[in-house]
Amino acid sequence: MNFTYPKTPGEAVAGALKMFGESHVTATIWKLSVAALAASLAFVFYMLFTEGHAAFNTSSDGVNWGSAIATYVFFALTSSGLTLIASLSMVFGFKQFYPVAKRAIWLAIITLIAGFSVLALELGHPFRMLWAMPLGMQVHSPMFWMGVFYSIDLVLLIVKFYLLWKDDWDSGFSHFIGAASFVAVVLASGMLGLVFGSLAMRPMWFGSATSLFYIISGALSGAAAIVVSVYLAYGFDARKIPAPLRSLTLGDQLPKVFATLIGIVLVFLLTRIWVGLWSNQDGMEGFVALLHAPWFHLEVWVCLALPFLMMLSPSMQQEPKWQVTASILVLVGLFIERLQFIVAGQNVPMFKGTWMNGVTPYTPSLTEWMLVVVGVSTALALYALGERLFNLCAAPKECMEGAGQLAQG
Amino acid sequence: MAKWGMVIDLEKCVGCQACTIACGMENNRLPGENWQDVIFFTEGTYPSAQLKWFPRPCQHCENPSCMAVCPTGATYKTEDGVVLVDWNKCIGCKYCMVACPYGVRFYTDEKPLIAPDMRKVYPSKDDHSWNPPWKMPDAREDWKHGVGIQPHDVVSKCTFCYHRVSKAPPGTPDLDPQDPKLREFTPACVVTCAPGARFFGDLSNPESNVSRMIGDKRGVRLLDQLGNKPQVYYLTGVGGAVPSNRAIHKKS
Ligand code: SF4
Ligand code: SF4
Repeated sequence: MNFTYPKTPGEAVAGALKMFGESHVTATIWKLSVAALAASLAFVFYMLFTEGHAAFNTSSDGVNWGSAIATYVFFALTSSGLTLIASLSMVFGFKQFYPVAKRAIWLAIITLIAGFSVLALELGHPFRMLWAMPLGMQVHSPMFWMGVFYSIDLVLLIVKFYLLWKDDWDSGFSHFIGAASFVAVVLASGMLGLVFGSLAMRPMWFGSATSLFYIISGALSGAAAIVVSVYLAYGFDARKIPAPLRSLTLGDQLPKVFATLIGIVLVFLLTRIWVGLWSNQDGMEGFVALLHAPWFHLEVWVCLALPFLMMLSPSMQQEPKWQVTASILVLVGLFIERLQFIVAGQNVPMFKGTWMNGVTPYTPSLTEWMLVVVGVSTALALYALGERLFNLCAAPKECMEGAGQLAQG
Repeated sequence: MAKWGMVIDLEKCVGCQACTIACGMENNRLPGENWQDVIFFTEGTYPSAQLKWFPRPCQHCENPSCMAVCPTGATYKTEDGVVLVDWNKCIGCKYCMVACPYGVRFYTDEKPLIAPDMRKVYPSKDDHSWNPPWKMPDAREDWKHGVGIQPHDVVSKCTFCYHRVSKAPPGTPDLDPQDPKLREFTPACVVTCAPGARFFGDLSNPESNVSRMIGDKRGVRLLDQLGNKPQVYYLTGVGGAVPSNRAIHKKS
């Protein structure tokens, strides 16, 4: 692939259109994801115009927040995780992570956009939100602060990406933006955790641990996303990967970071379920339901424990195909986690209706699944666009050379 | 300023659900969208099983968690202690529904709770979510206070019949439906209750009938351990009960 920076928006559009006629991995992703996005958006809009939000299976009787909110949380936290990965080199000076920094920032922007798009389609009045939230100034609402921090986060990410596009890796301003966005993203993902964690009447969510869990599991999904994206960029062919990047992915550092994050997330999950099953507190019944759900076991054993072992195994951890497999499993697992956590937390009906003695059932409707497709295809299409137009593999020159020597030596 | 509150005497309540119907008619609720519901539950097992029930309006909490989480200020508490939703500000994020411990809130647009879907049978041609053949006079409708037929994609709930109560003569200690002068200011569920199990009055006035009853008959509040401090009190006496938890069988 040749990278040509578009100089004007017109050139960018032309480049995007041209990609429809090209044949390489990125172009294939672009074509498929644009098609999926067009189809899913058309379906969702059709349903929203004919049925409205009644096309969702969420209900006042039980699960008020369903798969759309879970998708938003999944993307928002992946975005936060990607920013944390970018911060490794740009804030904390781990120079070996420079080759993925620009890519991570771009992915952070687009996953946040994907998340916000899904959220906008879930909200009753997304446009009203634009004035009602800033004018309302409800400083005691966790959701208000989540909005504030994620908005700041998005602006800082865009500024940072612009600076990297201009090859400004090292100016004082660039460093400042990097540090500021690290702080913003910790606050944003932590606050997203508190949207759930603040609610004492929902014991499955309650507590500051939810906030910590969101920050750390976000970092894990960010790490998984960056691994998948690096291999996608080079058509899953490790030989094509430039030396500095190869020394990062094929060394044992990335797998170690990855395994550590999976390990911490597993500890969080298993201790949470222990407390949930052990406790007799009213409102914890959703944990029993979780234990009976096949999805939960898929998540814990196949999507998290298995990749954990893969990334610990010396024979597998540096193999590109196992790294990619582990990353994809982790992303699937974390999506299940977001959905289960959000749904199970609302499974206990709050005196809603007569004879509601068990946990309330919920399965997403077709419209809701299509909304998930909208999110995923938005992210993939924008990823392909960035890959094609913005040279996501760029890194500071000195670093590329230094790392390159390292790899050769 | 009054601090309006309700007392429900469970020894008198017969579980007839007339309050639910009266509320539905007064406030133009969709079938099943019961701002005022009567919740039935069982306690114990055969042969000593008991069927119990309690009416559940919005508790108009002293510390309303719905208001605390609302990101726009659409949910607010009036000076006279009533928790309301401003339909012009609500963005339909449903955070308040998730945060209310008593399940009293409803989102407008979802699968009909009872078929057929009355919104389709009586569709609206304007901003209202539907247009039933019976409804309150337009002059009473008041979206800023969540009164009337709501627009699409907002959250609604019991208003303590704010369109009635807010017109009561200032300083009234109790809105007693037996008093012809006060009847039209009294919430519809209280007016309609045949055994007279519902009482409405000013909790900030220690002389009011509701304050006295709460004191004399040991009024209790639903899930008081959560700290929302409802302004709806239940008198359980010897026969009545409110569940101390959400009455779910853990192992089910
Ligand atoms: S019962 Fe629920 S909706 Fe009503 S005031 Fe309390 S928290 Fe808010
Ligand atoms: S749904 Fe409306 S009233 Fe409820 S928290 Fe959101 S904006 Fe506030």
